[in-house]
Amino acid sequence: MSAIDDVAAELARLPGIGKKTATRLTYFLLKQPRSALERLAEAITALGTRVAACSVCGNWSDADPCGICADARRDAGLVCVVEEASDIAAIERSGEYRGVYHVLGGHVSPLDGIGPEDLRIDPLRARVANGGAVREVILATNASLEGEVTATYVRGVLEPHGVKVSRIALGLPVGGDLEYADGLTIARALAARREMGS
Amino acid sequence: MRLSQLTVRQFRNLASLDLEIPEPGVVIIGENGQGKTNFLEAIYYLVLFRSLRGAKDRELVRFGEPGFFVAAVAGAHRVTAGYETATRRKKVTLDGSEMSKLSEAVGTILAVPFSPADVSLVGGGPSARRRYLDVVLSVSEPPYLGRLTELKTALKQRNAALRRGRPEEARAFDGPFARAAEYVTATRRRWVERWHERFRELCRALGEPSAAGLRYRTGEGTDGTEGTDDADAWCRRLGARMERDLRQGVTTVGPHRDDLRLSLAGRDLRIYGSAGQQRTAAIALRVIEAETLAATRGAAPIALYDDVFAELDENRQARLLELIREALPGQAIVAAPRDSEVPAALFDRPRWQVAGGRLDR
Repeated sequence: MSAIDDVAAELARLPGIGKKTATRLTYFLLKQPRSALERLAEAITALGTRVAACSVCGNWSDADPCGICADARRDAGLVCVVEEASDIAAIERSGEYRGVYHVLGGHVSPLDGIGPEDLRIDPLRARVANGGAVREVILATNASLEGEVTATYVRGVLEPHGVKVSRIALGLPVGGDLEYADGLTIARALAARREMGS
Repeated sequence: MRLSQLTVRQFRNLASLDLEIPEPGVVIIGENGQGKTNFLEAIYYLVLFRSLRGAKDRELVRFGEPGFFVAAVAGAHRVTAGYETATRRKKVTLDGSEMSKLSEAVGTILAVPFSPADVSLVGGGPSARRRYLDVVLSVSEPPYLGRLTELKTALKQRNAALRRGRPEEARAFDGPFARAAEYVTATRRRWVERWHERFRELCRALGEPSAAGLRYRTGEGTDGTEGTDDADAWCRRLGARMERDLRQGVTTVGPHRDDLRLSLAGRDLRIYGSAGQQRTAAIALRVIEAETLAATRGAAPIALYDDVFAELDENRQARLLELIREALPGQAIVAAPRDSEVPAALFDRPRWQVAGGRLDR
C-alpha cells in the first residue's frame, strides 16, 4: 500500500466519511504545505497523549479534573447525566447550565452487549453518596427507548441516597412548526404539558 | 379514494410503467407469472412501504437492477417510494417532501388486497392474524404504528438481555414494554369489540349458516389478571415468567404471543374449518378491513382483487359482489388469468393485458 492509500484507508474509518470523500481529502492534504501537515499530525497525536477522561465526570479533557469540574463558579451540587461526552458540548452551547456533568459512556443496549455495568453508573453513585454535596441529578439521556431505560435504571440506583432526581423535558423544538412535528413528539409534548403561570 | 397515476420502475418483473388509471379502475388479464400480482403489490407498496407478501425490499428489485421506484397520485397527494440495494436505503416522499419516519406517510393511500393466499389468515398460524390486525390498526389509527415499533424495540432488547442471562437488564425494559403492550392490546381488543358482530353478519351474508365468532386471545395465563391490559398487569406477568423467560431466552408473554381466534359454531376455524369456510372467513376479514379504513379515514379504500373470484361458486360469488358494492364502492383493480374469470359486475372497466412484465392497453 502506498502512503496515499494508507491515509485514505484511515480517513475512511471515520464516521460519515466514505471511500470517495476519504480519497478527496487525501488529495487535498497532498496539496498542503508540509508545515500544515505536521500541525495536523501533531494535533491528532495530542488527542492520544494529552487528552484523557476526567476522573470526576468522565468528560474528555487535557486536565484532570476537567475545566468544568475544576471551575469553582459552577454549582457542584447540580449534576447533569449524559450518554456521551459530545452531549456536554451541546448543553454548553445553550449557555444556560451552570452545574457540572457526569458522562455514562453510552446507554443500556443488550442488543449491542452493553449492560448497566458497562456504563459509568457506579462512579455516579459514589459521587452522590460521597458527603451529600450533590442536591440534584438531572437525567439528560437521549429520548430514545434505550435512553429512557437507562434513565429509569439510574434513578433506581440513586433512589436509596435520597437525592432529588429529575428528567429533562421532551417536547416540541423551539422555533419549530407544530404542523411539521411527528405524531409521537406531539403526543409526548401534550402528555408533559404544564399549567401556564400569569 | 382514487388512484389517478402510477409509475413503476424495476419492481419485481415490471421494468417501466407510466399509467393513467381510469376512475372506476381496470381489469388486468394475464397468464400466471406475467406480472398481475406484482402490479397489485407495487400499488400496495405505497400503503405500508413494505411488501404485501412479506418479502424483503431487496427481493422486490428487478433482477440485475440497482433498485426500484414506485410512485402514485391518489386524490390530492403524490406518494413515492424508492429503494437502493447497495446502500439499503429506502426513500419515501409525500407531496415532494422526504419523510424521516415512514409511519408519517402510512395510510396516505388506502387500499385493501384480496388474494387466494388470504386463506392463510384463517388456516395459518397466529402470526398471520397478528400481522393482519397490526396492518389494519396501523393504517386506521395513526399512533398505533409508533407504539407497535416501541413494543418491538423493547422486546428485542429484553430478549437480548435474557439471552445474555441478565435478569436485571431484562427487567429494565419491562416498563417500556408494558406501557406499549397496554396500548397495543387495548387497541386490538377495542377493534375486536367493535367488529365481531359484523364478522358474524358478513360470514352469514357470504353463505355461512352457523354463527361465526371473532375473539381476541392473550396468552396471559391464570394469574388473576385476565382481561386487564394495563401496564401494571403486564409488569406482573413479565415478573411471574422471568425464570421461564431466562431459560428459554425469549419473552414468553406479550402482545407478540396473542392471537385473533376465529370460530364457527364455537369451533376453531383454523383447525376445524373446511377450505370453503376458511375462504369465507378470510374474505369477511378483508371486507372488515375495508370498512375499518372507511370508518376511520373517511374514504373508501381502493380494492385490489387478485384472482379471487374463480375459487368461489356462483352463489358465493354473487353474494360477495353484493357485499363489496357497499363496502368498496371506490376504485377496483381486478387481476385474473382469463376474461371468463372476471365477474360481469366488475367487467365494465377498461381491460389491459399483461405479459412479461409489460402492459398493453
